[in-house]
Amino acid sequence: MAATRTASRAGEIFTTLEYGPAPESHACALAWLDTQDRHLGHYVNGQWLKPEHRSSVPCQDPITGENLASCLQAQSEDVAAAVEAARASLENWSTQPGAFRAQHLTRLAKAIQKHQRLLWTLESLVTGRAVREVRDRDVPLAQQLLQYHAVQAHTQEEALAGWEPMGVIGLILSPTFPFLDMMWRICPALAVGCTVVVLAPPASPTPLLLAQLAGELGPFPGILNVISGPASLGPVLAAQPGVQKVAFCGAIEGGLRLLIQEAVWDETMRRLQERMGRLRCGRGLDGAVDMGARGDAARDLAQRYVREAQSQGAQVFQAGSVPSDSPFFPPTLVSDLPPASPCTQAEVPWPLVVASPFRTAKEALAVANGTPRGGSASVWSERLGQALELAYGLQVGTVWINAHGLRDPAVPTGGCKESGSSWHGGQDGLYEYLRPSGTPAWIPYLSKTLDYDSFGLALPSALPAGPETGPAPPYGLFVGGRFQAPGARSSRPIRDSQGSLLGYVAEGGAKDIRGAVEAAHQAAPGWMSQSPAARAALLWALAAALQRREPNLVSRLERHGVELKVAKVEVELSVKRLRAWGARVQAQGCALQVAELRGPVLRLREPLGVLAIVCPDEWPLLAFVSLLAPALAHGNTVVLVPSGASPIPALEVCQEMAALLPAGLVNVVTGDRDHLTRCLALHQDIQALWYFGSAQGSQFVEWASAGNLKPVWVNRGCPRAWDQEAEGAGPELGLRAAWTKALWLPMGD
Amino acid sequence: MATQGRGEAGAGGRRKGSTEAGSGSQLCCGLFDMSAHQQGTELDLSWISKIQVNKPAVLRRAEQIQARRPVKKEWQAAWLLKAVTCIDLTTLSGDDTASNVQRLCYKAKYPIREDLLKALNMHDKGITTAAVCVYPARVCDAVKALKAAGCDIPVASVATGFPAGQTHLKTRLEEIRLAVEDGATEIDVVINRTLVLTGQWKGSDFIKTSTGKETVNATFPVAIVMLRAIRDFFWKTGNKVGFKPAGGIRSAKDSLVWLSLIKEELGDEWMKPELFRIGASTLLADIERQIYHHVTGRYAAYHDLPMS
Repeated sequence: MAATRTASRAGEIFTTLEYGPAPESHACALAWLDTQDRHLGHYVNGQWLKPEHRSSVPCQDPITGENLASCLQAQSEDVAAAVEAARASLENWSTQPGAFRAQHLTRLAKAIQKHQRLLWTLESLVTGRAVREVRDRDVPLAQQLLQYHAVQAHTQEEALAGWEPMGVIGLILSPTFPFLDMMWRICPALAVGCTVVVLAPPASPTPLLLAQLAGELGPFPGILNVISGPASLGPVLAAQPGVQKVAFCGAIEGGLRLLIQEAVWDETMRRLQERMGRLRCGRGLDGAVDMGARGDAARDLAQRYVREAQSQGAQVFQAGSVPSDSPFFPPTLVSDLPPASPCTQAEVPWPLVVASPFRTAKEALAVANGTPRGGSASVWSERLGQALELAYGLQVGTVWINAHGLRDPAVPTGGCKESGSSWHGGQDGLYEYLRPSGTPAWIPYLSKTLDYDSFGLALPSALPAGPETGPAPPYGLFVGGRFQAPGARSSRPIRDSQGSLLGYVAEGGAKDIRGAVEAAHQAAPGWMSQSPAARAALLWALAAALQRREPNLVSRLERHGVELKVAKVEVELSVKRLRAWGARVQAQGCALQVAELRGPVLRLREPLGVLAIVCPDEWPLLAFVSLLAPALAHGNTVVLVPSGASPIPALEVCQEMAALLPAGLVNVVTGDRDHLTRCLALHQDIQALWYFGSAQGSQFVEWASAGNLKPVWVNRGCPRAWDQEAEGAGPELGLRAAWTKALWLPMGD
Repeated sequence: MATQGRGEAGAGGRRKGSTEAGSGSQLCCGLFDMSAHQQGTELDLSWISKIQVNKPAVLRRAEQIQARRPVKKEWQAAWLLKAVTCIDLTTLSGDDTASNVQRLCYKAKYPIREDLLKALNMHDKGITTAAVCVYPARVCDAVKALKAAGCDIPVASVATGFPAGQTHLKTRLEEIRLAVEDGATEIDVVINRTLVLTGQWKGSDFIKTSTGKETVNATFPVAIVMLRAIRDFFWKTGNKVGFKPAGGIRSAKDSLVWLSLIKEELGDEWMKPELFRIGASTLLADIERQIYHHVTGRYAAYHDLPMS
């Protein structure tokens, strides 16, 4: 009988009132691993794929070190097989009616519901994360994501008319949160009709389980394929023919920075320490544990940071009930770090919080925005006005006011700066996997011969080429609101299609780009704070000015070899574009209503900042205006490189802009396209870059912009029909011209 | 039953050991000659005006606390016994008589079957409920029954126009005096919510979520706010105010959540009958059933356990 067993300790516990172990049984996770003989392969096209002659890595319990299973590591052929499966099922899946895909996603949500215990125990077992986190947050959220996106799929034909699924999506998961990361990305992709190949980090079985659940639903086994392998397979996945997009999520450190106003510093620290003292750390599968462990590597990282911080004079507070043995690390509060110490600059590892004081809200904002990261932040204040001011000012993808870490499938989650420029959830998340109907599919073509070091490096030397015929074009670079001589003090001849000289334009260089970007930055705060109405008025004024200048522009276009009729249409359409974007300025943000939250979530469309645009050669006036108008409408300031062959119409427009627009709002630099593109792509303080030119130029832009992960939009040498509504003024331009910020405003008194 | 307001701010209070009814105070006092009571502090209403409650966060915390601190096996048994020692075993019915009050008192003395306690090796630890709680008119019966049972479990009485508190100050004070004369050592006082709602607060030794007679009684979100007020008060003055949730606490599992809530928000030193009480009538039966199950591995039939 149980009596003899329990008798010994009840009295003692009655006095100490300590918590006991509350282990969740993980028998079902082990049983599932047993179905694969503790040997996991890949899940491709509805079947387990276990190719021979592959190396394998052990999947271990991060806390006990016990070997749970061995996982095969994929090689290039396995990646190719998975992509082939996804390609094969794309045709069938993407042509199904949205309502049908909706049903399929709903069935997957049901499958997750039926096997949720297996999911959460498996995830907690192999990641070491607290089971309550997975059980109470991740698994319900996964179901909500599927349900939300099922609804989106159902209404796709009406709500997303004019867009089509991209095709096969490659997804590279982070080692920290493979399960949820995956759900945030596969749900919208599958909903809109894409198929997915997931590259899961080594030894993470949960994505495989999810793929199995999806595969066993029946008719579409190949829509979700999971292979596990090292991150080095990423380029292989990206280079597979047919893969239209690769989404990836890097490692998430998970530490926090806390800025506390001096006036409440003591009180806040006291409460924080009190709360930290109550945290329980232990085996993730224990139901009474707040914090699990993330393995030895994470612990060592935290340990190193703490030692380093201590050596620099920081105060370290550690508390909570934490097992002393590895791999646990207590929740840690670091304060009094000297501002200039390397620790202050470094990313904070999990499970650390670094607290520092500030004096004014303005100072806090400067400190918070002074990092390359832009993921999420929370603002805690009882002064709503001040909290909103800060929330609007923070350059991060998500801001919570008096809350933290809330998520909902309907709210776009993203980031800016180095936290990336893609969104998950909400409408914004859907567009990540869509392209305007009719856009040519992307062919993964990377020129091996492109020399990144020398692309656009050399400047051609311009020599006198004879006298200008007809009226001389405006000369100079349009920077800071006026025409300026180029730094190189040289010019380039512009010829018409027959080769006769039209005139000289300034030859811009690196210093001119620098000057133009500086001017644009100076104009940025003023333009961003303009009301939508003021922005619209300015765009309309510019439209009127263009209309007045029509004869002049038409004759300039004619001299570039454009037929009179076409030239007239081009000017007319340009005027129309400016008016249209002026009108669209009004409708940008919106409020979302979210389940489980009383109060709205604001979806704000924020200007990117300084946007650099390299215009295509074709449609020298229309393309220039079509790109400029959405950029201005969304509050950006712009540095433009006009058409290389025919820059003169754009310079004519600059003469109008000199009189109408604030100085620095629009800057136009003429010169060698490749050289200017190089200068722009390598500039770290440009927030986004659009490039319409050669395939090589596109490749260079993508490569160079990876340095600071600035969003780029390139055409890979494909011409665009700028005179068509969809391609010249479609919603795609608006989406590209701003980033989304979600602002959570929980209410309740 | 009267159901004015939800009593979120603590619609009941208790004061022990004061010798007189506070000067015109609507939060009246019982006599309890032995125990030390609040030294008291200057009433500073600015503290109250500064209080901010982040309701969505409190609701989230209340939800979490119910799922994050499960106690199992012998820990569960020990915690349940601790819960027993914090129960104010209560009968507040219009048809209470000497006989059912006597039965209640006996149950208070012997809350868990002796053989079960023996199996847990807790039979000699003096496990009784913290008090019995009755209407003023039944205090006499309770005192007599407890004396007969040979124990010193205190008798608590609700008083002062319970549960609405909407009677004259004079009769309310008189009610307390009479209950104390009859032998009640603790008085649960219904504070005058008219005064509360107009911002005229008074202090207390113990605060109670509600009378237990409201439509909504002890809920976790309300408790969290009250517990944090207790903690703030302790930090500011060093005085420990007690806490009593009452009404609707019926299952053993609930009592465990309440204990862990106290442990999480205030710490171990509050987890004792001097500072924590659970007002309940049927809770004890469920706890006994759970302990029966823990000891024997079987679920008890209705007749296996003595009724209260």
